[in-house]
Amino acid sequence: MKVLITDDEPPARSRLNNMLAERDGVNVVGEAANGLEAVEKVQKTRPDVVLMDIRMPGMDGLEAARYLSQMEEPPAIIFTTAYSEHALEAFDAHAVAYLVKPIRREHLNAALEKTRKLTKAQLSTLSRETEQTGRTHICARIRGNLELFPVENVIYFQADQKYVTVRHIHGEVLIEDALKNLEQEFAPKLVRIHRNALVNTAYVAGMDKEGPSRFLVKFNKIDDRLEISRRHVAEVRRLLRG
Amino acid sequence: MKDKPEAARNPEPSQTFLPDFCDTRVIVRAIFMSELLALILSLAAWVSGRGFWTSLFMTSMFVQWVTLGNVLLLCLSRTWMRNRSTRMVMSTSYLIILVVTVLVSLGALSLTPGSTRLGPDSLIFVLGNVGISAIVSAVALRYFYVQHQWKSNIQAEARSRIQGLQARIRPHFLFNSMNTIAALTRTDPVLAETAVVDLADLFRASLGQRERVPLSEELKFTRGYINIEKLRLGDRLKVDWEIDETVPESLEVPALVLQPLIENAIYHGIEPQTTGGTVSISMSRNVDMVEFRITNPLPTTLSSYKRTGNKMAQENIRQRLRLAYGEPSVPWMEKTETQYSVSFAIPLESET
Repeated sequence: MKVLITDDEPPARSRLNNMLAERDGVNVVGEAANGLEAVEKVQKTRPDVVLMDIRMPGMDGLEAARYLSQMEEPPAIIFTTAYSEHALEAFDAHAVAYLVKPIRREHLNAALEKTRKLTKAQLSTLSRETEQTGRTHICARIRGNLELFPVENVIYFQADQKYVTVRHIHGEVLIEDALKNLEQEFAPKLVRIHRNALVNTAYVAGMDKEGPSRFLVKFNKIDDRLEISRRHVAEVRRLLRG
Repeated sequence: MKDKPEAARNPEPSQTFLPDFCDTRVIVRAIFMSELLALILSLAAWVSGRGFWTSLFMTSMFVQWVTLGNVLLLCLSRTWMRNRSTRMVMSTSYLIILVVTVLVSLGALSLTPGSTRLGPDSLIFVLGNVGISAIVSAVALRYFYVQHQWKSNIQAEARSRIQGLQARIRPHFLFNSMNTIAALTRTDPVLAETAVVDLADLFRASLGQRERVPLSEELKFTRGYINIEKLRLGDRLKVDWEIDETVPESLEVPALVLQPLIENAIYHGIEPQTTGGTVSISMSRNVDMVEFRITNPLPTTLSSYKRTGNKMAQENIRQRLRLAYGEPSVPWMEKTETQYSVSFAIPLESET
């Protein structure tokens, strides 16, 4: 059984490492210090189980778990926490595996015995919980791989039939999230300018007028320009002034 | 009188300094107190050669009418008074008492057979009653006010004690420390031992009865606390001390006044950052005060995850400092784009 340890505190990682070393048939394939690292290492090392601390800097364990569950063959996840978290209360009904720190050896063993993938109900709780606090990253699946982009690198989202295009400072990528959910999750950083577009206020540079009634938004860093629908013009103008 | 549970009898706490005049127990007490007043007045009449029992009967009648009238009006005006200022409540109730006295006096005059209406005697009767009522009710109102202040001080102190305990031991800190120690017992038993001793010192201080400790001791707790956090966070936590050596180490400070603020700084400023940062602790002398200042970096990323602020630690320190030294040492905060700092000052002559 391949296990990846994720915790931001070095002593916590070393303790898990020691406990796992005593077990036969367990192979620790790596350690990660935050959620982002965990997602990267999971893709590289393909563990069967991820021991995932919930509170971590950068990207927390819940958000990382959410992305991992989008993999084609997601690992089983056992959450660890120092103290009962609000998020775990939400999970309680769905019997997700979690261990409280300091972890008891027999609890760890029991959790490893019956690892399983997150169920649908657990996944939807996970999405709800991570959206409530706001994700730090946007996750895209590219040829079976997960790629993560920090939200602050996103310049705009543009919806097109089935997919949403994410334009970020290094390029663009397609995701499956709904524009409406993104808007709710990241307000007020993201502002809607059109039925099909959300822009990151941090990159909005100005507004161009084209013809009698067509307005376009200009951005820092890129030359793209996006149309502003008439009902959103006033809002963009307010944004530029403020 | 049997005491019913406080909550059942009085669902919302009385917010004015006046007792609840709708409460039977308060009414009984008011009647008893005014009977004492009647007794005093009758004794005075007896001394000056008039009949004691007649006087007591007449005076009691009068005083009780005034008292019951006031109790009724104060009870009825209770809802109105609830959100008024102390000054407003004070002057309104004083006015009510005086008006009731005048009305009862006039009523008594009209009932007295053969009294000459509005003659000099009746004027003296009314003015005399108003005078007595003015003095007695002023004393009573003052008493209610002082008692109310005293009660709310006691409540505030009790509250801050409870909050103090809760704020000092953040459950996360306790369990994380235990986890760190569990890990260290194998890899570095000596370090584990130090951590246990530091943790014990911290808990001794936090559970202790001592209100104040010498500065040297407070700094020792703080360093112990920081050592534990450093074990846990590794090189993510850097601490920069800036201590004015001229501040006497014997200066008495409230016990564990620094630790909760540093814990906050780490919780909000260091833990959410993957690269960590530096917490600065400075202590400087400023005329007759010692100024403490704790600064932490603010997470820079736009979307760094929001830590639900727990205002308890700061509120607890605020209350303790206010109780100990009054307004001037209440903590103040400064926030820039990249930094957050909290400062407070303790007088060098802390005994005054």
